[in-house]
Amino acid sequence: MIDPITLEVIWSRLISIVDEQAAALIHSSFTTVVREAGDLSAGVFDREGNMIAQSVTGTPGHINTMANCVRRYVVPNHPIDSLKPGDTLITNDPWEASGHLFDLTIVSPVFYRGRGVAWFASTCHAVDIGGATMGGDARSLYEEGLAIPLMKLFKAGEPNHELFDIIRANVRVPDQVIGDIYAQEVGNQVGARKLLEMLDEYDLPDIEAVSALILDRTEAALREAIRALPDGVYRNTISIDGFDAPLTIACAIEVADDSLRVDYAGSSPQVDRGINVVLNYTHAYTTYTLMAVLAPGIPNNEGAFRPIDVRAPDGSILNCRRPAPVSARHLIGHFVSQPLLTALADVLPERVIANGSAGLWNTMMDGMNENGEEFAYIFFSAGGMGAAHDRDGLSATAFPSGIMGVPVEAIETAAPLLMHRRELRPDSGGPGRYRGGMGQVMELEIITGAPANHSCMYDRTGNPAQGLLGGKPGASGQARLSDGGRPHPKSHYVLQPGQRVVLSLPGGGGYGEPRERDPQRVLADARQGYISLEAAEKDYAVVIDAATMRVDEAATAALRKERGG
Amino acid sequence: MTAPSVLLAVDIGGTFTDLVALNVSNGRIAVEKLLTTYPDPSLAVLNGLRDLLERADIPPASIRYVVHGTTLITNTLIERKGAKTALLATAGFRDAVEIGNEGRYDMYDLALKKPAPLVERRLRFDVPERMLADGRVWRPLDEACLRELAAKLRAEAVEAVAICFLHAYTNPDHELTALTALRELLPGVALSASHQVAPGMREYPRASTTSANAYVQPITDGYLARLEKGMRAGGIDAPLNIMLSSGGTTTVAAARAFPIRLVESGPAGGALAGLHWGRRLGERDVLAFDMGGTTAKAALTRAGELAISHQSEVAHVHRFKRGSGLPLMAPMIEMIEIGAGGGSIAHLNALGLPAVGPESAGSAPGPASYGKGGKKPTVTDADLLLGYLNPDYFAGGDIRLDVRAARDSFAELSAALELPLERTAWGLHQLVNENMAAAARVHAAERGLEIRRYCMVATGGAGPVHACGVAQGLGISRIIIPPLAGVGSAFGFLSAPIAFDFTRSYVARLDALDLDELNRILTDLENDGRRIVQAAGVSSAEINVSLSIDMRYVGQGYEVRVPFPMQALNAGHIAEMQRVFEAEYRAFYGQLAQGVPIEAVNWRVLISGPQPQIDQATFADSADACDQPITERHLRFSPEGAPVKTPIYRREGLGNSWSAAGPCVIEEAASTTIVLPDWSARVAAGGCLLLTRMSERDASEPTVS
Repeated sequence: MIDPITLEVIWSRLISIVDEQAAALIHSSFTTVVREAGDLSAGVFDREGNMIAQSVTGTPGHINTMANCVRRYVVPNHPIDSLKPGDTLITNDPWEASGHLFDLTIVSPVFYRGRGVAWFASTCHAVDIGGATMGGDARSLYEEGLAIPLMKLFKAGEPNHELFDIIRANVRVPDQVIGDIYAQEVGNQVGARKLLEMLDEYDLPDIEAVSALILDRTEAALREAIRALPDGVYRNTISIDGFDAPLTIACAIEVADDSLRVDYAGSSPQVDRGINVVLNYTHAYTTYTLMAVLAPGIPNNEGAFRPIDVRAPDGSILNCRRPAPVSARHLIGHFVSQPLLTALADVLPERVIANGSAGLWNTMMDGMNENGEEFAYIFFSAGGMGAAHDRDGLSATAFPSGIMGVPVEAIETAAPLLMHRRELRPDSGGPGRYRGGMGQVMELEIITGAPANHSCMYDRTGNPAQGLLGGKPGASGQARLSDGGRPHPKSHYVLQPGQRVVLSLPGGGGYGEPRERDPQRVLADARQGYISLEAAEKDYAVVIDAATMRVDEAATAALRKERGG
Repeated sequence: MTAPSVLLAVDIGGTFTDLVALNVSNGRIAVEKLLTTYPDPSLAVLNGLRDLLERADIPPASIRYVVHGTTLITNTLIERKGAKTALLATAGFRDAVEIGNEGRYDMYDLALKKPAPLVERRLRFDVPERMLADGRVWRPLDEACLRELAAKLRAEAVEAVAICFLHAYTNPDHELTALTALRELLPGVALSASHQVAPGMREYPRASTTSANAYVQPITDGYLARLEKGMRAGGIDAPLNIMLSSGGTTTVAAARAFPIRLVESGPAGGALAGLHWGRRLGERDVLAFDMGGTTAKAALTRAGELAISHQSEVAHVHRFKRGSGLPLMAPMIEMIEIGAGGGSIAHLNALGLPAVGPESAGSAPGPASYGKGGKKPTVTDADLLLGYLNPDYFAGGDIRLDVRAARDSFAELSAALELPLERTAWGLHQLVNENMAAAARVHAAERGLEIRRYCMVATGGAGPVHACGVAQGLGISRIIIPPLAGVGSAFGFLSAPIAFDFTRSYVARLDALDLDELNRILTDLENDGRRIVQAAGVSSAEINVSLSIDMRYVGQGYEVRVPFPMQALNAGHIAEMQRVFEAEYRAFYGQLAQGVPIEAVNWRVLISGPQPQIDQATFADSADACDQPITERHLRFSPEGAPVKTPIYRREGLGNSWSAAGPCVIEEAASTTIVLPDWSARVAAGGCLLLTRMSERDASEPTVS
């Protein structure tokens, strides 16, 4: 019997152990994707593969998919008792793991006193996986790169040399890809070592009892939060760009006592471009969004998944069938958060936020550098978040993804690119009583003197983030070339030397009627250049004298009255 | 008159201003503690100084050296009371400080707040210019535009200007030109350039640091000028030195140029004091552990020196959330917040499990046992219920602790946990210790340090109460409780050498270093540092110059810092650089990245004066020694069973040869030392208490079977 205080002590210790795992991984990583963007997850699992604790880094797309991958795929196929110390498993199967081939999930069993007691796993985005580069162009999975079925990466501590050779032969930047695989293994081993120290210290045979208690308490706490919602079905549907034609994401959240079912029936069918989402990934962003709204203080572990059932029609864009192309699945997957938030707005208006840019803008460049060596570089950028009931949306901030942007100086040090500007995008935040967050504008050029391939993965170019409860939409995004050309926002093209590409990222939606926004806030926005004077008048019905930069109170009152304020 | 022989340290904290005077000819120490004065903290310093000198009969002329640390800079940033500041950035990048890292520091918080930049957008300006990553000029600096901007800045009555151009850390030419031009165009305006303030890659933290430096410059200027003037008026002619967060001290002039390097100088003093006492007792690996009312901090030595970090944050939106502050790139003694303080409140978390802090009862109302209206159970209340604290001698008897109020505060928590009251209090004490130990362990592990080898130096009001428990959680078997813990930071200042360091980024593979260029850079850095250190009164012969190099495998983004002998570098040194890097890398990560080339990134040159000799400082006063317990009390050392009758000693009375086996308690006005069963205690050099674990825990590594 473990008393609650001892349980808390051990549980805190497990969290510090996964943080050590992630720290070791990040510090020994070879890529900015992992180091600067934090595009990784790390966690510890019990014998049965239940995720108990995750590190504070990472993105829901990695964490929650990793959790399902270990429990539903790795453990059934390789029960811990069938493995040996020093074994480590790897896979990048999109359906079983995190939805596209780029993410490598690496799982290591831990043995104590001759018996398997736990697993450490991590999922990291590899900078390249062969095939067509990251983007939505592929027509099937087979064009998207190297698939690694679940297999041993290390056998009793010995590297699986054949597999390493295959990977090395298939990817454009083998040193980085292999280097990060080793970094993941280093992280898992650091975690394992620390866990063994803990078992010794507390004289525990394993973590089964601790796991059961933590998972049960987590489940109970989440059920409590769900029970506080009125029973019923809450629905919302949104439109997004899709590849060539707009797509629909429809959700119905059915609350019944202390459990909750999300059904995406009515969403578009899968398409023949690499933007399809596997159910595992849909599940990850659904559970994440609901946790953030309903119970942000509850830890994210297997117990938090139990009260929530997620389904989507087989063959739909959110539950695609093998071998659908899936490379840029996050372009669609990140959007499941949006109708969920809006659907809950009526019952939880102070907990949800308006829709935002949602999808990360992924920019990938590859080509030859000045020394004739191949380079491939990817970075992520964020538009604006939606506003809340009592505050403006955050500008240039990733949501629902948890990754970070990369400094321009780091981009330019690692790749032959020149960023001409990266600044906030005025007038892009959706008007409202509280304004949506602003997007940003980036202008890029290649400086090798040779052309380079630019893969675009950009959404909300035709379907802006909608406002909430009277708030207006944020600005749509746009990709434009200096000579006037418009690259396809989800395809790739060749960027010529001397040519520049301007990326204008979308803004977040507003919250509440714009006419209700305090004119002094509107003025403050205008003074800082967040909005133009024209927008102040057009969107907020606030008249600002350009010479004095003061609100013209009389004209504002008249205008607001005229607009029906 | 005899030669001046008194060293004086002044530490301005958020609540108290501490002064410590050490007479080096007889080792005598005098201390003064008074409330910090706002808005002008120099008032408290000058008043305290007058009282101290009078009471201890120290003639002002006998003061040889003054060292001063202050929280003024940190407070100015937290309260956002700095100068009206503008930022000049490479055209197209003025929003770097607002775009930040595009991340959220708490993934589940939809109502997240980010720290607002110190410079609002309308005062951030584009300057046409551009360097490439390798330092080549892509677009020349438009000097005509600078003149137009200067006119705007004058019209706005801007008091400080930060300049941060892209890649200025590799080629500072444009920043230097802008600096020269603005100095002429904007006389009287404080100027900070990023390549001088924070010369490292990553535009967001560099611009943030440079803005912060500019933002606090005018206030620091005025404050230091008043202080210096006041001291002179009081008859003190000794040089005034300013404590840096990196653990050195510097001249007033250098402090005025780089005030951001003064952030957290108080805690730095605490860490230095830990290092001093550790060394004095012959310890090389020291864990400085300070636990006060609201927070517990730790600092670790590495190879006998305190580790210096160049990445930190200040003015957090959420105190305990990494990423919620303004990023700073400035040399600082690496210190981590490892947990709660004595006033931190216990509660149940979302899972119904006990948790402590970050909410704190502070000093008002304070813990429930203070009897000032606090109702919630705190760490101090738990310590009291376990018998660890003397209700009649807390803070030297200034605060009477109310045991009944402490019991009442625990009733709800223990009912919810279905555990007896004492069991709950014991568990909470354990939880706090374990969490601090876990945080210290993660910190040590991230740096490849084996914490079990360390000696803990425990300070702060609650530090000595929890020291044994935390040490046991870390496998540590030696603890030093230094004397006069109440003014530890100020005392630590006295042990700080005069020192200043400069850094340049010069990124190149080891097999492609341009040694002529590199030697020129290093000579420049050395000369800049020498000028500052010599201005503080260090003679050329006393100066020590040391070099450290940040290196990594090509393609990595984090560097490993290695010390390297400062000398004119030639081709023969390159293999040695590789060797020391690999040794360090292996210690961190366990394995090398075979076959990947190595590159050097940053070159840091530290110029320092001699370590002040303050070993004569002594506190043990054996004149009226009383080695016997003054009383006994019942203390609880385990979850079950009866409390143990434990002897209580009074620290002031203990003679130099005193020793005792645990369990026992040593009380003093500023703190209480709990010596757990299985530990012993004795008085050691300089009046320290030395606690030793009697049966060392089996320190062998667990094995993978």
